[in-house]
Amino acid sequence: MRKSVPLLGGTLAVTLSLALTACGAGADKTSDSPSGSYDKNATVGIGSLYEPQNLDNTGGGGQGVTEALNGNVYEGLFKLTDSGKAEKQLAKDYTVSPDGLTYTFTLRDGVKFHSGKALTSADVKYSIEKVRAENSQSARKSSFDMVKSITTPDPATVKVTLSSKSISFVYNLSYVWVVNSEAKDLKTSEDGTGPYTLDKWTRGSALSLARFPGYWGTAATNAKVVFHYYKDATALNNALLTNAVDVVTSEQSPDALDQFKNNPNYKVNDGNSTTKLLLAFNDRVKPFDNVKVRKAVSSAIDNKKLLQSVWGDHGTLIGSMVPPTDPWYEDLTKVNPYDVTLAKKQLAEAGYPKGFSFTLDTPNYDPHPTAATFIKSELGKVGIKVDINVITPDEWYTKVYKNHDFSATLQEHVNDRDIVWYGDPDFYWGYDNKQVTEWVKQAEQSDTTDQQTALLKKVNRQIAEDAASDWLYLYPQIVVANTKLSGYPLNGLNSQFHAYGIKKS
Amino acid sequence: MSERTDLNPGPGEAAAAMEPAPVVDSAKEAPATRTRRSPALVTGCVLLGLIVATALVSLFWVPYAPEDTTGGRLTAPGLPHLLGTDKLGRDLLTQLMTGARIALEAGLGAIAIGAVLGICFGLAAGFATRWLDDTLSTLLDVLIAFPTLLLAMLMVAARSASLSSAILAIGLAMTAVVARLTRILVKRVLAQDYITAARTSGTSWPRVITGHVLPNIWPTLVVNLAQQFGLAVMAEASLSFLGLGAPPPNASWGRMLQEAQATVFTAPTGVIAPGVLLVMLVVGVNLIADGLRDTLDPTRRRTR
Amino acid sequence: MISYLLRRLAFLAGSLFLASVVLFLLLRLLPGDPANSLLSVGASPKQIAAARHEIGSDRPVPEQFVHWLHQLATFDLGNSFVSTLPVGPEITSRLDVTVPLTLLSFLLAVVIAVPVGFIAAHRSATWYGTLISGISQLGIAVPVFWIGMILITVFALRLGVLPAGGFPQDGWARPGEALTSLALPVITVALVMSASLIRYVRSAALDVLGSDYLRTARALGSSFNRAMWRHGMRNGAVPVVSVLGIELATTLLGAVVVETVFALPGLGSLLAQAVAQHDYPTVQGVLFVSTFAVLVIGFLSDLAQRLIDPRLRGRLSGGTR
Repeated sequence: MRKSVPLLGGTLAVTLSLALTACGAGADKTSDSPSGSYDKNATVGIGSLYEPQNLDNTGGGGQGVTEALNGNVYEGLFKLTDSGKAEKQLAKDYTVSPDGLTYTFTLRDGVKFHSGKALTSADVKYSIEKVRAENSQSARKSSFDMVKSITTPDPATVKVTLSSKSISFVYNLSYVWVVNSEAKDLKTSEDGTGPYTLDKWTRGSALSLARFPGYWGTAATNAKVVFHYYKDATALNNALLTNAVDVVTSEQSPDALDQFKNNPNYKVNDGNSTTKLLLAFNDRVKPFDNVKVRKAVSSAIDNKKLLQSVWGDHGTLIGSMVPPTDPWYEDLTKVNPYDVTLAKKQLAEAGYPKGFSFTLDTPNYDPHPTAATFIKSELGKVGIKVDINVITPDEWYTKVYKNHDFSATLQEHVNDRDIVWYGDPDFYWGYDNKQVTEWVKQAEQSDTTDQQTALLKKVNRQIAEDAASDWLYLYPQIVVANTKLSGYPLNGLNSQFHAYGIKKS
Repeated sequence: MSERTDLNPGPGEAAAAMEPAPVVDSAKEAPATRTRRSPALVTGCVLLGLIVATALVSLFWVPYAPEDTTGGRLTAPGLPHLLGTDKLGRDLLTQLMTGARIALEAGLGAIAIGAVLGICFGLAAGFATRWLDDTLSTLLDVLIAFPTLLLAMLMVAARSASLSSAILAIGLAMTAVVARLTRILVKRVLAQDYITAARTSGTSWPRVITGHVLPNIWPTLVVNLAQQFGLAVMAEASLSFLGLGAPPPNASWGRMLQEAQATVFTAPTGVIAPGVLLVMLVVGVNLIADGLRDTLDPTRRRTR
Repeated sequence: MISYLLRRLAFLAGSLFLASVVLFLLLRLLPGDPANSLLSVGASPKQIAAARHEIGSDRPVPEQFVHWLHQLATFDLGNSFVSTLPVGPEITSRLDVTVPLTLLSFLLAVVIAVPVGFIAAHRSATWYGTLISGISQLGIAVPVFWIGMILITVFALRLGVLPAGGFPQDGWARPGEALTSLALPVITVALVMSASLIRYVRSAALDVLGSDYLRTARALGSSFNRAMWRHGMRNGAVPVVSVLGIELATTLLGAVVVETVFALPGLGSLLAQAVAQHDYPTVQGVLFVSTFAVLVIGFLSDLAQRLIDPRLRGRLSGGTR
């Protein structure tokens, strides 16, 4: 959930990162490193809108805990690289059995937790089981449903057996924090292996990390990192303008960007995002059970103008669920082009020549009300009357997500690789295409990534042709930083913000 | 937001409570006969009138449809958008006009709830037995300790952010204030000799209320309600500013201010205009309250 | 005096009890089970049952009430639904911001309002007397968040002399930084508060200045200053102190808005966040603590009034709170 949500959005932020997560890809592309020297003992101030609820990512910590601790304090067997590939981190090596069902991981030597204990295979087993536990609120929990057993033949080896093949397994492991199995309180303290230790968490205000002297890898390029938390974008921008922070993890509105663009002290970076704004139809019920109606609606809305009015010159049109950073991306904006005449024709063919009316359940925080207003005025032009029903994130969750009691709704979908939800007929939007379901299933059980990519490309095209939803646009990912800073992540996909490479001069 | 979001007594109310209107024998000496035009009253009426007129006009005509986003991003004041547009290209003037309606609705709605419930409650307490009165007045004291904003937040937590939640919360908070004032005023009137005389001569309680109590307490109540109106408008703006008032896309001044914060440098009109209107409205009703007090209550004239 | 104190303390205790009842009823009468708020984090039915047990909404209402009183008595306000951490310490830690903010604003407002209000009354016929009245009239109509926004724009963004918001992570361990970050919020609240205080002070001073005893005292040869000091201050102070009590209480509560504008980690922003997340244990806890504070302030204000004016002896609740 990337939107700045003044007050009322907080809940949903948690909701979606938990609920709508498929598997994920990420990249931690960073800003160019400077040639100049930097202060090895600098303190870097990071401004963010996402304060952790607690420090446990399996205990409802939310998006904020991933941002602050992932890769910084906790590490996984694998970490994600720029190209969204999983790279070995705490795993020194691994092998997969020919049937694709048994993974054997060898752990890196000399890795110590912040408490001083050495990393063993028991900790890895514990960590994976923690994610899979019944009371786990981890967003990745369902990705590990096919894990059958985990064994630890020796302290440096972990063996995982799956019940069915999973091409994303290694990739998904990059989301599993390796935690000391003897750690007591993971909600307000930590025990990871990362380049930083938790210095202090002042709830409601800030969380600071300090360089861990006993780190097994390359030490962080700064001594201390402080995440400062703000509740709204204005306060966040003010903090950056007054040098209270050095970098803002993700700008949530284009309003303040001009102040930074015209100021030589700041750099505005446009990275890649995976957050999509959807007009999600309830594909089970009239009139949206009719493909023609969905296509008509999609064609009646000028997405370009909507994006322009919400984000100015930032953001991208995608035409489907897949952002350009996913391997199975294709430009599908032509499938349901903006064409009012076409929309009217399709409406007539669907049996609604005079249009119809429907209720649009709209979450109460931006950009949803804005988009709803815009959609209402666009659809009015083809005779479709929209009643905007503004609801809270909680209502959305109960009414739309759980009870499927809606005609159409607006929602932002944060995660990468979440196209797979179109393979689940029970998902809230109720898209049910047996072929697509089959493709999604096959894709996960592919032997090679090429196979997986080819299948998911088919899925992507099919859902676009069926106008399963209307994908309004892809959000921009904008990181603004003081020019004294370099080496900060630009894409921040999946809410990660690796701070260990940040250099401050 | 201190004294405004809270409906705790404003200056006049506390003053009024300290020194309730002089007890006049009956409606014969109706204050109207002494009405004198006070400059405060006139200025207040003009300010309030402007806002009311704007709101009324907005019912029938606004320059653009409120949802029309064709204006372009943050255009400066000029033509065709007199006051410019907001970041979504909506006409600012249109939003301000609709906002006037929401502000007045909030004020009037809260006043209606607060006045009806508060006066009934206050009368009941005023006439009640010692024991019941003590209980009621302690309850009122406690209720007043729950300020509007917190009450409203509670309602929002349970219901959802909407104009009606906000109005209900503000109105309920106002009830306690009005009830307490009514009670004090009623007690003062009932202590007068002529009430005892009236009772001795067999006048019934309802007749006492309509014939003696109400005529004596209404001037102070009206002044107080006028002030409460201003406080209610302010409270609604604060709630909207916090995102707890009328949900978007409704144009509430408080929410407009909140949204315009981010563009204070690029489009200052968005921050200035709603604020100015809000101040006009609140100053307007406060002046009317002052003016009314001067006209309805001559003993306080010298102090203002 | 002792017996008054005892009675007033009993009244305070009664009010607190009543407040806890009201708060309890308000939360229980509201539609929906507070545990439903857990739905928003995708809780399973099992987790919801656990949450209901945690806050006790699965028990009969009278039992819940006893539990609630027990919680209050032990200051164990339960655990937050959202963070699952205890509410009590969370509230205490937020007081570090809210209490200084309130007290400093209050002091500054008094320092501004008392002399200005007095001058406005003493020189009510002059142009600046009128000007002061006009400005204070305007001042009470300006929303606090608007003033805050303007102050941030001018002093933090344009001039860059004061921080725009936030509070140092180490809090009062760094008094200088903490004070600087409270500067703009305090000025904002104090400006708004003094506007209405000026009106009270002016009104009280006018009453005193026009009073017979002051005229008599002067006629008997007291100097104006002496007469004012001996008689005027004492008489004028009573209504002002009662108003101060109200103002102090409302500032505490108005903190919600100010803390939001200035991104301060205080009680107000905690409440705002808890409401947004339907975090009932936190909402309940914050509301009780703030109601408690307001009632105690009322108590102290009554006490102060009595100390100033012994004539109030017969009345239980002094002044017109």
